Amino acid sequence: MNWLEFSSSSLGVAFFLYVFATIFYMVAIAGKKWGKKDPKLHEARWGKIAFITSTLGLVAHLLFFFTRWIGSGQIPTSNMYEFITLLGMTIMIAYTIIYFIYKKLLLGMFALPLAIIVIAYASVFPSDVQPLVPALQSHWLKIHVTTAALGEAFFAVGFAAALMYLLRTIDFKDKTKNGKRAQRWLEFTLISILVVIGFIIAAFGFKGAGYTASFQQENASVSQLGEISTTTETVEYTMPPIFKPYNSEAIEVTPFLGMTDGLFETPSWFNGVNSGRKLNTVVWSIIVGLLLYGIIRVIIRKPLGAAIHPALEGIDPDDLDEISYRAIVIGFPIFTLGGLIFAMIWAEEAWGRFWGWDPKEVWALITWLYYSAYLHFRLSRGWQGKPSAWLAVIGFVIVLFTLVGVNLLIAGMHSYAGVE
Amino acid sequence: MGKNRKKVQVVVLLLALLLGGYAIVQSFTSNDSGLVKEGQQVPEFRLANLQGEPVALEDYVGKPVVINFWGTFCEPCIREMPSFERQHEQWKDQGVEILAINLSEDTLTVSNYVKKLGVTYTILRDVNRKTEKRYGIRSYPTTFFVNRDGTLSSVFVGEMKESQIEERISKIVQQ
Amino acid sequence: MLLPVNTKCECGHQNAVGTVLCESCGKPLEKELLESNEPLEMRYDGVARRSQKANPDYLDKIWNFFSSVKIAIYLIIITFVGAMLGTIFPQASTFISSTFDPSVYYAEQYGLPGKIYYFLGLHRTYTSWWFITLLVMIATSLVICSIDRVLPLYRALSKQQIRKHHAFLKRQKATYSTTLAEDEAEWTKQYGQALRKKGYKVFVDESGTALLAEKNRFSRWGPYINHIGLILFLLAVLARSIPGWNVDQYVSIADGDTVPIVGTNYYVKSEGFKIELYENEELPEELKDSGRIKSFKTEVVLYECSANCNDDFEQPTLTEVHQHTILVNDPLRYKELKLHQFDFNLTPRINAVSPMVVNVQTGESYGPFHLKMVEPELHYEVGPYTLELIDKYMDFAINSEGEPITLSSSPNAPAFIFNIKGPGLAEAGEVFMYFPLEKDKVRFSQDTINRELANKVAIKVEGMENVDFSAATTHLNVRIDKAIKYLWIGAVISMIGLVMGTYWQHRRIWLRIDDQQLTLGAHTNKNWYGLRADIAYALKHCGIELDPKSLDNGGHKG
Repeated sequence: MNWLEFSSSSLGVAFFLYVFATIFYMVAIAGKKWGKKDPKLHEARWGKIAFITSTLGLVAHLLFFFTRWIGSGQIPTSNMYEFITLLGMTIMIAYTIIYFIYKKLLLGMFALPLAIIVIAYASVFPSDVQPLVPALQSHWLKIHVTTAALGEAFFAVGFAAALMYLLRTIDFKDKTKNGKRAQRWLEFTLISILVVIGFIIAAFGFKGAGYTASFQQENASVSQLGEISTTTETVEYTMPPIFKPYNSEAIEVTPFLGMTDGLFETPSWFNGVNSGRKLNTVVWSIIVGLLLYGIIRVIIRKPLGAAIHPALEGIDPDDLDEISYRAIVIGFPIFTLGGLIFAMIWAEEAWGRFWGWDPKEVWALITWLYYSAYLHFRLSRGWQGKPSAWLAVIGFVIVLFTLVGVNLLIAGMHSYAGVE
Repeated sequence: MGKNRKKVQVVVLLLALLLGGYAIVQSFTSNDSGLVKEGQQVPEFRLANLQGEPVALEDYVGKPVVINFWGTFCEPCIREMPSFERQHEQWKDQGVEILAINLSEDTLTVSNYVKKLGVTYTILRDVNRKTEKRYGIRSYPTTFFVNRDGTLSSVFVGEMKESQIEERISKIVQQ
Repeated sequence: MLLPVNTKCECGHQNAVGTVLCESCGKPLEKELLESNEPLEMRYDGVARRSQKANPDYLDKIWNFFSSVKIAIYLIIITFVGAMLGTIFPQASTFISSTFDPSVYYAEQYGLPGKIYYFLGLHRTYTSWWFITLLVMIATSLVICSIDRVLPLYRALSKQQIRKHHAFLKRQKATYSTTLAEDEAEWTKQYGQALRKKGYKVFVDESGTALLAEKNRFSRWGPYINHIGLILFLLAVLARSIPGWNVDQYVSIADGDTVPIVGTNYYVKSEGFKIELYENEELPEELKDSGRIKSFKTEVVLYECSANCNDDFEQPTLTEVHQHTILVNDPLRYKELKLHQFDFNLTPRINAVSPMVVNVQTGESYGPFHLKMVEPELHYEVGPYTLELIDKYMDFAINSEGEPITLSSSPNAPAFIFNIKGPGLAEAGEVFMYFPLEKDKVRFSQDTINRELANKVAIKVEGMENVDFSAATTHLNVRIDKAIKYLWIGAVISMIGLVMGTYWQHRRIWLRIDDQQLTLGAHTNKNWYGLRADIAYALKHCGIELDPKSLDNGGHKG
């Protein structure tokens, strides 16, 4: 077995350990009501088991990271697969640190699934080691990407705690206009998470079924020197084409529910690399996510939030509020350092300018401005609790957009970071 | 304390106004072409003419000067040369000088063209293209009309009609 | 907010207008606040901001506007929303071509939304007046907010009274009270000792029954240090607009050429550009034969001009100052000058040829003679032949009127017209047209142009060793950024402040014992969890065991 094979099995081990740890956390919380034993003792015991399991998972995850580094000779942070698995790992590191500060078991019930979803999402991307292009051959790749990811991971933990806070405090019996609105938005947040899961299911489902379709696309592009050129390229789809590429002809489409060509054409203003395929993927994710939500609703017969709410009854919301705030406070300087300062140093070295208003740079700045606004809001009376929980949730959406959305929708100098 | 506070307020707000104002004004001026601006002193140069003798801009202090950047590969440049020649004849008694700076072509090529076109005004050769860059040239032809005091009166990018040349030369002669 | 008119506290301290909590004993000064039961707002320890005044004038009003944190937050929000708009379509600055015309590009590429985008000026969002104005306002707000708060806060923290008002203690977010059996002074001493172990500085008043324990006060200065760093950073950015402080231009250098860097005293020579691709065995399956680039680099020599620098008539005197192999992540750095690998072009450029002159009839060949593309000699003696160069074209073509012209000044299709004299040729010489590049010879049918002369004489290059050419042209980005060091200093200061303010928390615990009645209150700016643990730890040391959570007065108990 070589390093790389060992590495990928380590990730598999980490993934399952995280899944088991989540289950143990659920046992720790839900089991309190089973009644036979002292509930406090039960929670402490299973909590300990769950934490040890998740820590073992993190160890396996670290093994994955370092053996892949050794095996490939380059730090595994250079393509989408590697970056997203790194993010999953940093979320676990951030969670572990926060756990050591607050010793709050329940945080694991939300932070772990987040890490699991992130890792599952990563495995949708090709996992091959790709040798570095010249732009990435720098020691700043190691420093910038890892620190930025760690900062973002703390924001993710802040998000997990904020979501728990909302699930804990939003009153599902409240029939007032404001109450209804809060319930709707919370449900919307949960559905968004299901859409991400929907993407993973769709990606694996169609991949497993061996689905392919290909299109001939004609592209007009304006080079940096202002010359207009047309190129044709073949775009491969792995999901049935609800949206086919802009200005394209079907070459070969595996029939799916009678579909032999794209139903719609991607609008021209989606200008990322392979934007047609990405839009198609997003649409499929939403469809599968909503289907999933529908199934769950049919089973539980009430809003998802209302179903989770009782499980969190025993937790002090103030603790959650503080954990969320604290995680963001800890993450903010790390993100500033990794996402902005190190990024500027690298940009100064590679491109000659420390700042170029590249979309990825701008979005890192937006993230930073957003969280600095959050920190100032916390100084004001009346912004603790629910408002700041919502801010933490929205903040994580911005983080995700910076990490994934920018590559999806906007072309820029960071476009090589993806493989899609 | 009270008096001090007023002082601090005035100083801080004034600084903010000055620096901030400077930054905002910059935002209006920063996105132009990089050409020498009107009213500014045009950059100095000392270049060889076709006989291999040095000609410097400062040799023409006190005279209105037209500086034209051209190349034999640039058809509009060649087309406008006869107009410049006629204008040169018309204004040379009033001290107007036309300096046509060629864009790093060979002496042979340039001499052949000048002979063919019958141009009599001064042809200069910017061998390493430094002068061209100092003037911020982006396309050819580009013509600068320089006042007697060495400041730029106007600049024209592209082929000129004779009437346009005449109008601009009369402006620098009168100034 | 209505400001209290009488600002003298019952403890005898005269407070400034706008003070919320007495600077000395901490008693709430507003009647409304005094009567409420909510935990106290401890921002800036309740002292008045500098700007709070009874009768603000015009200047005060502007000052107060920028002094408000709420305004600062709004400014931040407007700025990031504005920044978002700028990422919808690519900014005009990403196109460096001189022929790029934004008024056409956006409409053509994105239709109506593109047109609107251009019309609103969003194609230059980040250099627009409104975006710069927002940044300027944020900077102003940073300065004024900080000045307004840091000085009063410093005053308040440097002369703290130990014995606080009961209302002040009981209405902290962490508070505790009980009746003690022990000796008051002894208990206080013991409690202080426990806190000392936790790293607190402990102050006890003369009576020995009131205590103030304080930890990490320096973290309160973190935000202000951070703001100073940010201001420095922004000033450094502004300084880049000073002429000469920020140079950004491009040079293109064919292998072997030396070109001036205009605006500086430097010349740069390319010793050759090289590109390397990954071997197939280094690549994963789907990237094989994709031509993935492993590295590209330019070996350069940097010269400084030491004489005749601003005189283009004389040859400049160049002194070599630096050599470097420029890689994408490894620019040439010399003093403030930086040369970055930007782009390359693998089209070869012909520099000179060394052809033979051949007598076609006898088959004898003479030479070779050296023919440069740029500024060639005009006269050549080759064996029995004499060649006179009478005209040349760098980029030969025939225009619409049938006349020979040159399309550019680069040797893309060089053509030479010689007057040749020699054996078997006319006395006055015969005109011979020579295309050094084989493709041009065919394209412009050299033999047809030269007619019967082509049967008498030929000019031929034998072997590639007689052709001198540059294999590639490298494009380098020239940068000088004199403000960059100030920028980094600003960033470092800002980072130090940020870490100070976030990873340490200012914790204070006050207590007073009156008639065996202990009243304890504590405050921190972040991490109440840790503070409660500290209080509980010290209480345990004094024999009182409790759940730290029970100290929480977080506004839920009313």
